[in-house]
Amino acid sequence: MTGTIRPGFIDEDRYDRSRRIAWLDVERVRRTKCLVVGVGALGNEVVKDLVLSGIQDITIVDMDQVVRSNLNRCVFFREGDAERSLAKVDVVAQRAMELAPDVRINSIEGKVEDIATEELVRFDVIFGCLDNIAARLHLNAQAGHVKVPYIDGGTDGFRGKVQVVLPPATPCLQCAMNQSHQRILERRFSCTGAEVVVHERKIAAEITTSSIIAAIQVREALKVISGRSEACIRHVEYYDGYQVRSECYELELDPDCPNHG
Amino acid sequence: MNVRIRNAETGGTVDMELEGENTVQEIIQGASAFWNKDDGAYVIRKGKRLLRGQQSVAQSGIADSDELELIPDPEGGA
Ligand SMILES: [Zn+2]
Repeated sequence: MTGTIRPGFIDEDRYDRSRRIAWLDVERVRRTKCLVVGVGALGNEVVKDLVLSGIQDITIVDMDQVVRSNLNRCVFFREGDAERSLAKVDVVAQRAMELAPDVRINSIEGKVEDIATEELVRFDVIFGCLDNIAARLHLNAQAGHVKVPYIDGGTDGFRGKVQVVLPPATPCLQCAMNQSHQRILERRFSCTGAEVVVHERKIAAEITTSSIIAAIQVREALKVISGRSEACIRHVEYYDGYQVRSECYELELDPDCPNHG
Repeated sequence: MNVRIRNAETGGTVDMELEGENTVQEIIQGASAFWNKDDGAYVIRKGKRLLRGQQSVAQSGIADSDELELIPDPEGGA
């Protein structure tokens, strides 16, 4: 094969260094459609990593506005965004597009429950970057229903975890639930008699753990997209940044779990 | 049977006496109460396997002198 090159040509290709990873299917990555639910700490980092990895079609969902206490861990947010109470999705969409001009970011200001299950079929990978079990279980069930890979991240201070769900074969988030999760769900939704009150627990969060957990989420997605699911986490990776531990544990499919029909 | 539960956060251990019909979530409840754990969620692992909460000790293959680990299950991310 012959062709024409010029000096320095290898540095003109944005993805030259990515293409040097033999198993990574860069062209497929660029055609992939991702949904990121939650654009707080994990969501900021996941979107950043997706854009830099070459994903060009990203839909983001979040109902909140930027506040000052987000600024210790969210790379896309600025003081001015908090002062103006801007919608997180709008800020993330605008700043992420500055990283790569060819990326299209569709932002939805709303809750996970606002997304119709049938709308999820168009995505290749769904990321859970949420802050509560109820929303995670909802998204997990929806993703399972449409059989789209679901990659969930969770953090608490210097601890974190990533679960990879490849429906219908692998155990899902619901399969891993026990009474301690159930108690959290019950405390979140308490009924006053007239209305249901949502109690939001303030959970410790900082950038190093958010960044590592989000990076693992995107790393696993790149394997799925490149047809290397066999190299994915089976099934949960737990990370402890303080004790410098990271381990993968297997889960069993719960025969009573409603998500594996 | 007796098993040893390790606290993943501190490395501390406690021995627990179990019957075959006890459930994994009873182990979680007992250990988290012993260490005055906060309101968070927890899981138990045996070796490389996370045990299902609804299963009994007998069903989950827990044997005398096993060491289990109580791990916090992080819920945050925003
Ligand atoms: Zn399940």
